[in-house]
Amino acid sequence: MMKINTLLVCCFLSLVMISCQKAISPNTATGTVKITIRNTVKGNPMVLNTGNYTNSFGEQYNITKFKYYLSNVSVTTTPINTFNGRYYLIDQSNPASLSFSFEAPVDTYYSLKFLIGVDSARNVSGAQTGALDPLNDMFWTWNSGYIMAKMEGNSPQSPVVNNKVEYHIGGFAGTNSVLKNYGFIITDPAGINIREGKISEIFMDADFDTWWQGVFNLKIADNPVVTTPGVLAKSISDNYVSMFSITDIKNY
Amino acid sequence: MKTRVIIFFGLLVLIAAIFISACKKNDVQPGEPHNPTYIDLTIPAGWPTPTSDIFANNKLTEEGFQLGKKLFYDGKLSKDGNFPCASCHQQFAAFATFDHDFSHGFDNSFTTRNAPGLFNLAWMTKMHWDGGINHIEVQPLAPITAQNEMAETIDNVLNKLRADTEYPALFKSAFGNTDINSQRMLKALAQFMGSIISSNSKYDKVQRGEASFTATEQNGYDLFKAKCETCHKEPLFTDNSFRNTGLAVNPFLNDFGRMRITNDKNDSLKFKVPSLRNVMLTFPYAHDGRFYSIGAAIDHYRTGIITTQPTLDPLLVNRIAITNTQKNDLIYFLNTLTDTTMTKAARFAQ
Ligand code: HEC
Ligand code: HEC
Repeated sequence: MMKINTLLVCCFLSLVMISCQKAISPNTATGTVKITIRNTVKGNPMVLNTGNYTNSFGEQYNITKFKYYLSNVSVTTTPINTFNGRYYLIDQSNPASLSFSFEAPVDTYYSLKFLIGVDSARNVSGAQTGALDPLNDMFWTWNSGYIMAKMEGNSPQSPVVNNKVEYHIGGFAGTNSVLKNYGFIITDPAGINIREGKISEIFMDADFDTWWQGVFNLKIADNPVVTTPGVLAKSISDNYVSMFSITDIKNY
Repeated sequence: MKTRVIIFFGLLVLIAAIFISACKKNDVQPGEPHNPTYIDLTIPAGWPTPTSDIFANNKLTEEGFQLGKKLFYDGKLSKDGNFPCASCHQQFAAFATFDHDFSHGFDNSFTTRNAPGLFNLAWMTKMHWDGGINHIEVQPLAPITAQNEMAETIDNVLNKLRADTEYPALFKSAFGNTDINSQRMLKALAQFMGSIISSNSKYDKVQRGEASFTATEQNGYDLFKAKCETCHKEPLFTDNSFRNTGLAVNPFLNDFGRMRITNDKNDSLKFKVPSLRNVMLTFPYAHDGRFYSIGAAIDHYRTGIITTQPTLDPLLVNRIAITNTQKNDLIYFLNTLTDTTMTKAARFAQ
């Protein structure tokens, strides 16, 4: 009798285990990586609408909209790559969007990686929600695909109606893909030191001034509006890939 | 002893059951079972399997289909209520706009292209004449937000649906709860549109051995296979490619087709090969509806092709030789592609 009992108990237990597999978290202890972004122009905090800026070509402009996607964000250390399948829409007009968090196993990490934009698979997978909801005004309706980064503003040097400046940068396929993987190697020996239940906060600046130069010199007077995928969009993305810098890491 | 054992097992079963139910994925609120009626898209015999399953992440259900149908016929999706999808996509015209080169949109505007029929979309790899739309689920974003079509914002549409007396319950039966968001609306529309299959024309009956062509139709079919088949490939009557058929550029529209999407000058003046199923119902023809009769469309291949365009399709550089008799035969054949089973199906009607 006892034997059958144990057998049955085992059966039930394994049944319970199988059905629970998804819910059981791995035994590894985790902490939180928090990324806080400050959008800047030439090192000063970006102020929408009222901030008056001048680029290195002497052209004046203001910024009314500034938003961009980050995805595939991870901190890595061999052999751990905390792949994070979430999508973040960083929007200067929405303070809550300027920081985000994810869990990582306890360890010390010396690298942070992310994709600027939305990976190509998600551009061809139909209707999405959350950060990728077309309601966020970052989806082209006539040429399916995400606008990976968007800046709108005005400049007296812009020859188009109402002196508009509009950069809607996207395109995920072929030679003009604007998708950029970007990574930081952290040289500070303290690294990103994730401890159980604690937060490590990474502070990043994203400087808009990089959009005008770096790889290509792009003047407002020549290109006030870029709203389709193509060579120009690609050039702007080649510039903005160097927009980010890590300013501080706090291991709490 | 016996009762003890039974009680013991009973307890175990109970515990196990609690665990199992607690561990189930929690998409639906407890106590509210969501049991939609799953349905399958029937692929007509002999047809290719669609290259990608448009319902892979959008399980086709009767409830989803019915919700999609209601949305398709509902003026609420447009700014002033007058332009539901169905205002431009009419069932009796195989879901094209009957007898219009351009369709009417919001505030006395016109579309800038001819509205194609909507059927067999599960086989369509790219939508719109220039292939700019890469997935059936995101297609409705284009007409809803275009100023010369429905002229509405997605936000407003969703708010109108949320305030409606019927929609919350319909979203619940389709998706498990009353949340109304863009993804659900788009998936429901895709379920309706993607389910429209046209496969019961006389041509189909002949293929299935249920009918036979007249001699004239058969001559037309033979000619079709010799001269048109490469691009208008059976059984869908399109190969889903983009090609330049040597049409003059309309100076009002300056529409260069696929090039707008790819930015590649090799794609200049290329447009999607349209299906010729139901072609007798979808006049006028071509991306800008410039041909008012099927005869005029065929004459283009005989005498109208501008052979100097650099991107002209290589198959058309010598135009297509078709005698008057052959043209007549061809038209008789094209007539056999009309599928009244689809255009009259109550299932797709309002
Ligand atoms: C004002 C008229 C109008 C309205 C309203 C309209 N459409 Fe269309 N539809 C068109 C035109 C014109 C095209 C061709 C667009 C192009 O190729 O650029 C089209 C193309 C399409 C296509 C692609 C077909 C193909 O063969 O590539 C689909 C699918 C479609 N419409 C679905 C819808 C749905 C769903 C709605 C409602 C949400 C809708 N349409 C509302 C006029 C309209
Ligand atoms: C080289 C490829 C090719 C060949 C061969 C070809 N077509 Fe076409 N056909 C097209 C393309 C592309 C279009 C769309 C043209 C446009 O609107 O710019 C089209 C459009 C049409 C249309 C208009 C359909 C509509 O709904 O607007 C008809 C009718 C038609 N073709 C019939 C024929 C017939 C009949 C033949 C054989 C005699 C033929 N085609 C051969 C590529 C081809």
